[in-house]
Amino acid sequence: MTDEKKPSLPSGRDEATPGGSAPGIEKGPTTTPPADVAQRPGGEAKPATAVPNVAPASPAAQMQANPGMVNVTIDGIPVAVPPGTPIIEAAKAAGVNIPFYCYHAGLSIAANCRMCLVETSNSPPGKLVPSCQVPVAEGQKVTTNSPRVKEQQRAVQEFLLLHHPVDCSICDQAGECKLQDYYMEHDFRPSRFDMPKWMKNKRKDLSESITLDQERCIMCTRCVRFMAEVAKEPVLGAFGRGQREVIDVFPGKKMTSNYQGNVVDLCPVGALTSKDFRFRARAYFLTATPSVCTGCARGCNTFLDHFQGVPYRYRPRENMDVNQYWMCDIGRRSYHELYEERVSTARVGNARVAPAEAVRVAAEKLKGGPVAVVVSPVLSLEDALAVMLLAREGLGAREIFLSGRADGEGDDFLLRPDRNPNRKGVELAAQAFGLTVRGWNDLGKTKAKSVLLAGVEVPVADDQFASWLGNVDAVVALASNDTPVARAAHVVLPLATHAETEGTFVNFEGRAQRFLPAYPGRDDVMAGWYWATAIGAELGLAYRYASAREVWVEQSKRLPAGALGDFDWDKTPRNRLKGVTPLPGGTVDGRPAGWRQLVPLKTPTSAA
Amino acid sequence: MPEKHDSTESRVTENALEARLPTKTMSINMGPSHPASHGTVRFNIELDGETIVKLDPEIGFLHRGFEKSCENVTWQQCLPYTDRLNYVSALCNNFGFLTAIEKLAGIEIPERAKYIRTIGAEMHRLCDHLTCTAAMGMELGGFAPFLYGMEARELLWDRIAELTGARVTTSYGRIGGVEKDLPEGWVQKVKDTLVKVEEFRQEIDQLLTLNRLFIDRTRDTGVISAEDAVDFGFTGPMLRASGVPYDVRKAHPYWVYDRVEFKVPIGTRGDNFDRYYIRMQEMVESISIINQCFEQMEPGPHIIEDWRYVMPPKPQVYSTIEGVIGHFKLVMEGVKIPKGEVYSYTESPNGELGWYLVSDGSGRPYKVHCRAPGIQLVSGLEHMVKGSMLPDLIPTFDAINMIGGEVEQ
Repeated sequence: MTDEKKPSLPSGRDEATPGGSAPGIEKGPTTTPPADVAQRPGGEAKPATAVPNVAPASPAAQMQANPGMVNVTIDGIPVAVPPGTPIIEAAKAAGVNIPFYCYHAGLSIAANCRMCLVETSNSPPGKLVPSCQVPVAEGQKVTTNSPRVKEQQRAVQEFLLLHHPVDCSICDQAGECKLQDYYMEHDFRPSRFDMPKWMKNKRKDLSESITLDQERCIMCTRCVRFMAEVAKEPVLGAFGRGQREVIDVFPGKKMTSNYQGNVVDLCPVGALTSKDFRFRARAYFLTATPSVCTGCARGCNTFLDHFQGVPYRYRPRENMDVNQYWMCDIGRRSYHELYEERVSTARVGNARVAPAEAVRVAAEKLKGGPVAVVVSPVLSLEDALAVMLLAREGLGAREIFLSGRADGEGDDFLLRPDRNPNRKGVELAAQAFGLTVRGWNDLGKTKAKSVLLAGVEVPVADDQFASWLGNVDAVVALASNDTPVARAAHVVLPLATHAETEGTFVNFEGRAQRFLPAYPGRDDVMAGWYWATAIGAELGLAYRYASAREVWVEQSKRLPAGALGDFDWDKTPRNRLKGVTPLPGGTVDGRPAGWRQLVPLKTPTSAA
Repeated sequence: MPEKHDSTESRVTENALEARLPTKTMSINMGPSHPASHGTVRFNIELDGETIVKLDPEIGFLHRGFEKSCENVTWQQCLPYTDRLNYVSALCNNFGFLTAIEKLAGIEIPERAKYIRTIGAEMHRLCDHLTCTAAMGMELGGFAPFLYGMEARELLWDRIAELTGARVTTSYGRIGGVEKDLPEGWVQKVKDTLVKVEEFRQEIDQLLTLNRLFIDRTRDTGVISAEDAVDFGFTGPMLRASGVPYDVRKAHPYWVYDRVEFKVPIGTRGDNFDRYYIRMQEMVESISIINQCFEQMEPGPHIIEDWRYVMPPKPQVYSTIEGVIGHFKLVMEGVKIPKGEVYSYTESPNGELGWYLVSDGSGRPYKVHCRAPGIQLVSGLEHMVKGSMLPDLIPTFDAINMIGGEVEQ
């Protein structure tokens, strides 16, 4: 769940909490919030309407005891936070974790799960206050571990489980479920409920991609708030009262938003499930590798969840500068390309050959005459650098042609019209080697006898381009997917996807983002820089690289100065822990019992 | 180092009878599979004639990386590994390990579980001592004691199998108690068995204790002083044979050892015979302890009822969400033992079995170290046999009762 990965200091967000009652949630099934509260997340401050005289927190404000900060004590730990910070965030800054279900930093406050109730020095006698909703006050003393708070948490947990179905063994959420985590932390005792459980709809279709199990729902209304506030498609509501209350779509409505997949991540229990992921893998066996989505030029930060070399899903990884806590469904589904219809062996004609032999044939075919180098902006920056190096120094090219997926429709939130993750990076790489970047349409005018396809994503119909390739003398393709284009090539070298290698993508803003290898490629699959360097070696170039990092260290010097800002290649998004799924801290480590790294990552010793 | 001899020495000596024969030391290799050494261990021995000049025990033939393996599995999953430490007395290891975990987590186990643990540990102490003494007799040439010993051990193992489901690899304990209560009618069966075992013990006693051949091989061989024994870190019968009255059960009572009466036999000479005889006497005490436990124990829960540590009962797992969550979390993530480190120790048949555990608060151990009693004894072996005859090595090594499984972690 991405909501666990919020920055520990609340000063990172430019927003003050609406201090009054949550917008609409508790008043009826209609959940459309007032228009001035709902907003596209984008850094604008939420209006701090209910808390007068609260200045928006400055991101620059730090924990020094400066006049702008509020000093509170959480379980005896003093901490200074910006005014308007909810107690729960202040506690996090003090290293105290308060349990919660309905709170989410990217959504409005509902305060309806009652799990985060704490004692404060300024609350009415005998009253607990919801720490997600109540902002800190100067000199306030907060107690989160008193017997009274503990008993409250236990009672809430018991109530939430009262009508919960006995589903863990068939539930997608098992292993990353907050009900499970909090049960073991705060309740851990037998059921006292001896009546039949309340039955609800277990298979409610909310859309093409989301299924709702109403029995499992704990009515936190995160999904309702998300659809209204972030997806801007308020079709979900809470219907009924008491134990009959359910989440549902309004009559005649359907979820159609491109961002609806986020409600599955938001759901703290297994109520909302993705039809794409449903019953395909056990969450606790998956290893999550920090990665970057390649669905469009935004480059949303993701976790790629995989098990034994097969990817199972993307989850958004929090990055307030790029995608906040969210990602779109188009990107979410793009992981299928990582394992469906892959090229895994080197081919000459239709015959499988040894990689070295394929490289030799490729070099021979390219040696002949003018070569049109076609580079796909799905390649990483390192791959692109190595390909440009080959094009310039090995093949004597003066220009490259940009291929890549065709543009689609964008929106005003995350999705970009450009569906390629690294157009900016490839253009920079071409610039680094003084190569002219020419568009796709210019390719038809070229008189080249042979074509080097670095990536087989093309903006036109695959078959159409494949038949055009039939007129070319020699086609060498670095292909990750076995498309008609790849099949039309004379030599095919299996290309690693971003899940199988490491590297950098430069998104549409020019922001360079690192991704890490999740699992090793199958059979002969190698990264683009490897194949490019190997062909270069056959052609007599002296470059030898053993890793993407070596390509970067040597060739990135040619990039225009300052093109990537203060990008540091070695500063990875998060140090990957072996086999550790970054789920709520310390509760799940994601490894099956006796887990071992099953296949060692390939570490080629030499490119040639 | 061998002395240098002039090859002409014998010729120039007037009296040929006084001439010293030129000798040099000989390196011989004993084991790793030697019929007279129980356990797989190799000795590199340097002999001067028949006198041991140097001895280097080479262990590692049973190394399994047990301590490291524990870091990859949950706390409960370590338990079957402990069966395989001293595989003749698995229950002592099971319960010792669990006692350490419980000390770290601050768990107080139910009274009945304490009694069951004491009974199980003493039964396996009997098995271990029977194995040691009987094998000692066999390796010194008497096969009959061995057969009696094995017969008695089989009887005990049958009872253990009825209790735990396995003769050797018991895995019977659980964090917070034991897996299940005593089977019906088991107490009487054990009482009958103990009578039989005592008979077999006496047979061995009569065959060995006053046996001239046995005494000649064991009396005053492999001697170690009390001071040296302490310095080497000896514990158990090996230490007590040298006259140091240290028994964890008396010195730091655990479970119900402070509620039962038993004597700790002490030796005087620190030789192999004392070690043998202490074990014979301890068996009598063990039988007495078990019978006292049967008298004292009362019905009650055999395991605590805290679902953070103990699996929910199966009916609850199948029918309530609380049960299925508890089960799922304990199986998939393991019991969450609070952060911290602990050293806990119990008296296993061969000495102090210590556990140093470090927990980082997750479901898996951060570090497990086992202070097996055998490793100190093996390291003192050279000290005990240096300068004595090669045949003395056999009874000395027998008395150490080295178990490869626990010495090699």
